[in-house]
Amino acid sequence: MTFNSLTFIVFFAIVLAAHQAPLPWRVKKLSLLLASYAFYAAWNPPFVLILWLSTVIDWWAANRMYRTRVQRHRRWYLAVSIAVNLGLLGFFKYGGFLVANATAVGNWFGLDYEPATWSIVLPVGISFYTFQTMSYTLDIYLDRAKPAGSFLDFALFVTFFPQLVAGPIVRPTDLIPQFATPRRATSRQLGWGLFLVTAGLFEKIVLADGLLAPVADRVFRATELLHPADAWLGTLAFSGQIFCDFAGYTTCAIGTSLALGFSMIDNFRYPYAAIGFSDFWRRWHISLSTWLRDYLYIPLGGNRRGPVRTYVNLMLTMLIGGLWHGAAWTFVIWGGLHGVFLCVERLLVGKLGHLTWWRTLPAKLALGLLTYALVNITWVFFRAGNFSTAERMLRSMLLLDTSGKPVLSTWFVLSSAVTTCAIVASHWLMRERTLHGTVARIPATAFGLAWGAMLFLIAITQGGSSAFIYFQF
Amino acid sequence: MPEPAPEPVPEPVPEPVYERPLPELRFGVAALVAVIVAAGGLAGWELHWRRFGVEPSIQNSDGLWARERRRIDHGDGHRTVLVGASRMLFDVDLGTWERVTGERPIQLALEGTSPLFVLEDLATDHDFTGRLIVGVAPDVFFSGFAYRGKLGAYYRDETLAQRAGQWLSMTFLEPYAAFYDPDFALFTVLKRQDWPARVGVKVGIDVRKLSNSAADRDTWMWSKVEGDPEYRALAQKIWMQDTTPPDAKFRAELDKRLGEQIDRAAAAVGKLRARGVEVVFVRFPSITPYRDIEDRDFPRATTWDVLLARTGSPGIHFDDEPSLQGFDLPEWSHLAAGERPRFTEALLGAIARLKSQ
Repeated sequence: MTFNSLTFIVFFAIVLAAHQAPLPWRVKKLSLLLASYAFYAAWNPPFVLILWLSTVIDWWAANRMYRTRVQRHRRWYLAVSIAVNLGLLGFFKYGGFLVANATAVGNWFGLDYEPATWSIVLPVGISFYTFQTMSYTLDIYLDRAKPAGSFLDFALFVTFFPQLVAGPIVRPTDLIPQFATPRRATSRQLGWGLFLVTAGLFEKIVLADGLLAPVADRVFRATELLHPADAWLGTLAFSGQIFCDFAGYTTCAIGTSLALGFSMIDNFRYPYAAIGFSDFWRRWHISLSTWLRDYLYIPLGGNRRGPVRTYVNLMLTMLIGGLWHGAAWTFVIWGGLHGVFLCVERLLVGKLGHLTWWRTLPAKLALGLLTYALVNITWVFFRAGNFSTAERMLRSMLLLDTSGKPVLSTWFVLSSAVTTCAIVASHWLMRERTLHGTVARIPATAFGLAWGAMLFLIAITQGGSSAFIYFQF
Repeated sequence: MPEPAPEPVPEPVPEPVYERPLPELRFGVAALVAVIVAAGGLAGWELHWRRFGVEPSIQNSDGLWARERRRIDHGDGHRTVLVGASRMLFDVDLGTWERVTGERPIQLALEGTSPLFVLEDLATDHDFTGRLIVGVAPDVFFSGFAYRGKLGAYYRDETLAQRAGQWLSMTFLEPYAAFYDPDFALFTVLKRQDWPARVGVKVGIDVRKLSNSAADRDTWMWSKVEGDPEYRALAQKIWMQDTTPPDAKFRAELDKRLGEQIDRAAAAVGKLRARGVEVVFVRFPSITPYRDIEDRDFPRATTWDVLLARTGSPGIHFDDEPSLQGFDLPEWSHLAAGERPRFTEALLGAIARLKSQ
């Protein structure tokens, strides 16, 4: 079930009504859990079994781990949890990729073997909930958290429908305590939550699907060399599309949670106003970047084992982060490029960071625009799907070959350029601000006017319930 | 080895539970203004499209097609099934068919889409035991063009949520809201405005709304196409885009595709007939100048005649059936809505004569 569907509106109205009803807290939690399973089963009912497997194994492993102080046993329970979660992820998400690459290597060595086509369907959102449940056992192992008070609380933490399929990847310490005591949204929480749902749907339906996706699709499906302006516009459109699509989803997730009385962390903070790549990753998909930092980069040694090891750790973390997104080498390159940019930035900050010039406004703006341009270069690999398309796009974008043809109509040029400028400008405007802080300074009628305009535009755009991009991860 | 006594477990320092900050705002006032603005805007938008001549109609959506396709799996597999492109969809009146034969057929034709994938799907579906009427629009059928060719995958992969969404939409929205039609979606409307041309970029005119549908995909030409000369001229102009004759390279490509389509059709029909399913091909009427393009690019002798010979199936070509001629085709390709009952009766008569031969 997607947020941008009529089915979800009805589903959410029923869930909200049940949650507001005068029922015992345990019954309300049970109702939320059942609703979450229904939400997931609406895609493919058998895949609920994977959720159950992950839930039961991690509950068992974490409790056993918590009860023993024998490090060897604790490691074993952790290994079981990680093996099950990564095993599921590996089988469903990376099985085909591994088989294809092993076959390619075998063929390269002269082995004449062609495996059967890998036709395993990827359970939606598996990368998100496996990482979320792993953070639970990892936190128990690292003595950062206690096990959940009840199996119901833990199952709800794993399955809670707003963030189940595309994040944010919520930490157990952030969400499980919220299930411990009765929660019901206040009228302000309900109002702000419903507004956030509207804002998220506006980003997805109007901006991502309505204005930007057609331009990105037109450019990235071209088989010929494109005019540099078209290649850039298509990439900028995709950069806006993926932000509005993903941030739209998490805004809806945060809004639905809040309307039920639960608070969820931010996942985006105006990333296209980032100054440098460290700043970018503090603003983009925050729940994944902090997950990778806490459970991969720091355990690898972080920056505590000398400069060379720091760079190696950074590269490893970003390469794995790239592969997390999809089983394809283009995603690995995307992650690798981010790793390289982070390493170069670290190097430059070490050498030139003391200069005060960097802190002036023109320098900040220049660095911000450079960061944005480089982020767009990385998006080419993320969107292209294959290296020949990426190579063709980059040849145009980097002006290595300017003989390409224009393909975008005037409407596509206008709509993508204006929307992209509006997104980037709004990110710079909001760079040091918060949405709730900004809204608090606006009169209620003006805010209502904007809210109503968004609702109207959502309705007349008539989105086709297209899936969110990050569902495939 | 006995496990040593457990050491005391260190208690993690509990962090305060995160609470999302909220703006200080009179949400009641804001929500009221929002509802008034959204409702007012929608009322104006609806009024605008009603004045344009739009009436509420069930959308010819993927979900609606999947609903009809599922009927074959759920007890209606013995019925007559209609497949083809837009002419089968627009020209046949299901009510008349039901009145004459006592059976309402299942309409699975898809505009701008070769019916071959449906034919192949039904050929392997043993729930289907009825009769198959296949509409042949030469430029679509023999080129293999499939504007909605992903529908087969959609049907197989359709989720429970999508099915529920289809039902909600066709029950609570589509019968009441005229604006709720993909042709009047905001960015579709903006895209087709008369924007200045960009040098080097050729922009075609997208096909506009031509029909209205009922819940079982019974479909008829939208009255605006018949009654508004300007709109009808636009529809005609759209059909006559890109009508330059194919060059030698493209001709060779078309001939190759044509052969492939006929091979696929023959294979599918072979399977259907092997289990007793009757298949009848129908070439629906079209008129000059559109007809001329069809004849130029897909002459009967190398397409229709070969198809019938290869499949061994009976076929009805409107050129051979006087009762299927002389109808009003406002944009040269589809029948006016009022012509459908008479045409359907004539078609059923032709099918009956075919059987008696």
